[in-house]
Amino acid sequence: MGVSKEQVESSLNSKLNPSHLEVIDISGGCGASFSVEIVSEQFEGKRLLERHRMVNAALEEEMKEIHALSVKKAVTPEQWKKQQESNQSNPAA
Amino acid sequence: MAAILFKGIAARSLTTRLTSSCYYGMKYSTKVSNDPDTHDDFKPANKLENSGTSLSNIIEQDVKDNPVMLYMKGVPDFPQCGFSSLAVKVLKQYDVPLSARNILEDPELKNAVKAFSHWPTFPQIFIKGEFVGGSDIILNMHQTGELKEKLKDIVSKQ
Repeated sequence: MGVSKEQVESSLNSKLNPSHLEVIDISGGCGASFSVEIVSEQFEGKRLLERHRMVNAALEEEMKEIHALSVKKAVTPEQWKKQQESNQSNPAA
Repeated sequence: MAAILFKGIAARSLTTRLTSSCYYGMKYSTKVSNDPDTHDDFKPANKLENSGTSLSNIIEQDVKDNPVMLYMKGVPDFPQCGFSSLAVKVLKQYDVPLSARNILEDPELKNAVKAFSHWPTFPQIFIKGEFVGGSDIILNMHQTGELKEKLKDIVSKQ
């Protein structure tokens, strides 16, 4: 038995207080592999590796059952805003 | 008894064959039989652990001696998971030598690497002795140009 998407969301919400969070079960609903996009002020001043470590730590319990975790984005609200503005300026990209 | 002997000999033979395999000069295979019916006297020894050096020391030596070191599922020519495959594809775009160990061959090695890096998943990538991260991070570094910068002096040494 795997981990539910809701469990992953709950842990990330409670520990990292994100302003944006997207969790996708990429194992076809088995709860074995997840893709995460997360925006949090807690990432301010942190290098990418440290941000990923923070996500891993927030999911410490879930990682015991998760086969694979893909952190697609771990950015600050400011970085997220810039990315969104950039995407709007270049919708075809 | 005959069956036990046969399984032991077969397992030892398998280990002997695997011991000779390597990737970019790797000296060891880390295959260990999990056959519960194999008598203890015939179970193949963990080559790394029984080399007289702890796994953590071996890993430390790996990352020190190899400018780009991967612990992955499979080997660079035959990755056995999408994330390991992605990491290899990214790194192969640069003219650097890749060294790797297949963590699927040895659960003890897998656990030792996790403990060494404090990172729970694979692949794990070390560049010039520094733990860099997994496939997501290496892809991000590639996209931002950071990876090229980090690898440039390795390339220049070729």
